[in-house]
Amino acid sequence: MHAIELENVCKSFGPVRAVDGLTVHVPQGCVYGFLGPNGAGKTTTLRMIMDIIRPDHGAIRLFGEPASSPVRNRVGYMPEERGLYRKMTVAAVLRYFGSLKGMTAEQLGRQVPAWLERIDLAAHARKKVEELSRGMHQKLQFAATVINDPELVILDEPFSGLDPVNQDMLRELIDTMRREGRTILFSTHVMHEAERLCDFIVLINQGAVVVNGTLDEIRAGHESRTVSLELEEDGGFLRTLPFVASVKPDGRRMDVTLREGADPQDLLKTLVERARVRVFEIKQPSLHEIFVRLVGGAHVEDR
Amino acid sequence: MWKIGKVAQREFLDTVKTKTFLLSLLFIPVLVVAIILLSRKMIESETGPRPPVRVGVTSSSEEMSTRIAGAFAAHNESHPQSPLALRPVPADGNEPSPPETGKEKLRQGSLDVYVVLEGDLEGKDGTLYFYTYKTKASQLDALGTVERVLRDAVIDRRYQACGIDRAVFQEIQNVPIRRIELGPEQGREKEQSRGQQAVRMMVPFAFMYLIFIGIVGMGQHMISSIIEEKNSRIIEMLLSAISPFELMAGKILGLAGVGLAVMVLWGVAAYGAATRQGIAIDIGADLLVYGLLYYILGFVLFSALLAGVGSVCNTIKETQSLMMPIMMVFIIPMIAWPVLARDPNGDLARVLSYVPPATPMIMVLRLASSPDIWWGEIALSFLVLAVGVLVAIWAAAKIFRTGILMYGKRPGPREVLRWLRER
Repeated sequence: MHAIELENVCKSFGPVRAVDGLTVHVPQGCVYGFLGPNGAGKTTTLRMIMDIIRPDHGAIRLFGEPASSPVRNRVGYMPEERGLYRKMTVAAVLRYFGSLKGMTAEQLGRQVPAWLERIDLAAHARKKVEELSRGMHQKLQFAATVINDPELVILDEPFSGLDPVNQDMLRELIDTMRREGRTILFSTHVMHEAERLCDFIVLINQGAVVVNGTLDEIRAGHESRTVSLELEEDGGFLRTLPFVASVKPDGRRMDVTLREGADPQDLLKTLVERARVRVFEIKQPSLHEIFVRLVGGAHVEDR
Repeated sequence: MWKIGKVAQREFLDTVKTKTFLLSLLFIPVLVVAIILLSRKMIESETGPRPPVRVGVTSSSEEMSTRIAGAFAAHNESHPQSPLALRPVPADGNEPSPPETGKEKLRQGSLDVYVVLEGDLEGKDGTLYFYTYKTKASQLDALGTVERVLRDAVIDRRYQACGIDRAVFQEIQNVPIRRIELGPEQGREKEQSRGQQAVRMMVPFAFMYLIFIGIVGMGQHMISSIIEEKNSRIIEMLLSAISPFELMAGKILGLAGVGLAVMVLWGVAAYGAATRQGIAIDIGADLLVYGLLYYILGFVLFSALLAGVGSVCNTIKETQSLMMPIMMVFIIPMIAWPVLARDPNGDLARVLSYVPPATPMIMVLRLASSPDIWWGEIALSFLVLAVGVLVAIWAAAKIFRTGILMYGKRPGPREVLRWLRER
């Protein structure tokens, strides 16, 4: 059974097709990255998974059950647009969101103080939310998301707007939850975060899947054309080679990008004849590069 | 369903706990009490005598002048706080044109009012002329006194001229009247003062006003609560746990509870205050039950409309233009209440009874003013109201679901209609 199943899901807003026949299966117990440029339909898809908006066509199931069922109580969701009741106290906010997720008073009595301890806000439990600093606010938001001890956590652009300390905290939490066997789905347009954390990745663009699989699978399908070189003498001649597209200096090394279809082995043969080679490394393609290649550079941001 | 309860509970507690709510809860009773106390105080505090009102009088009759002087003296003796100063102005030779000297004194400010007795007042003819110049607002009531004193002096003189003893005449005129309302059983008769009759007029209004405050006042909280959740982006967190309908229903229930609490509090306070003052108010239990039902239905209808309005707006300001037409329907009964109270079975009252947003207020007003309203009318009004409530909830739920997630530009009516057609 999959944690999330999307079958041919479509959603339009007026004339705009936000999601166009999306089919994605998220296995249980993995960290799944939902990648794509801004406006690709990520948020719309996540909202449909949470039954905040309904798809025009297609089926969405969580743990085999329809999204609009009580199964939502087993899910934690942190939207991209975040906010909490400013006038409520820290503990009351956690209790409220926990109770909406179906937690009993007894569970709340146990979980709320535990989470406040875990995010270092125990001393502020009686403060109003509006009195918290931005960083504390972010931590509280995250605690409110997972207060119900969810089996599936869905995070929409979780790293955007976080300070570095909280980014580290979030990474640790994601790691912990993965070890505990929970499923985590998060969307991002920041590729290196996905590269670092995800077991599976789906790249969507204009509401449809562009590529889908494990990081290794995706990499395998996209061999790198970049070679990192260090030569003993000047490498000026490299630019004149027919299969070299560009040469970028990188400290003592240089990054040589080959033309499409060229074999790095050809470069190595040529080099051996013309210079002494200290380092020859075929670079693993970064997700960023794969993205740029698949979607076109205009939409992708890194960092 | 229990999630609706959770939302309602939070909404109730959060509204009740805010300072603005507590202030508004106390504000109106405090204001009413303050006005009563202050006006009483004002009357009491006029201990120091006011500066006398200087009254110039021109009278051609010697007898009349004496009588006026006597009347002024009598007034000053019985009302030492607001004395009148008599300044006779001798008539100049060329009658009947009013003496210009008096008018000139008035303009110069040495007189506050100038009175000319013209014609044969003793012989049931002639006129009293009251001249004023740039009257001070503080003297307006004193002018009334001057008029009364002078008129009384003239009447007194006429009695004398006709040879009638005024005391005898007053005895003849004196016919005591007592108004007694019978209770349902023997021995429960209640004497009614004039004030009591005013109370009978006011009770329906008070009831309607309570309904109005309970519905419209709470509506403001509804709008601000939705706008807050929208602006602080809590809404998506909420909707990941509960459905938009549950959220809306919870809000409506929670605020209806607040409204009910306010109404009960004020109602009990008003009843208590009235009873303490010795004004008997009888309210039938059936009126309370009807009032409760009408209030709840009316509140649900109104706040469903507001939930729809609030969900498509981003600021309180934006909601105001959309609120106007809705508010109008509620203000009509407030403006028309004297007509409605006098004629609770008239055409206007009947028609307005079936305009759903106004139904609760109108029906409560009618029921409180006249106990004999055909049950069919009550049943029909409930039916119309219930249909209105269902339509409002249906439309509001659709608009709410889509509107609540929209930021930026407010959607136009055509777009809202499209949402209504969506499944």
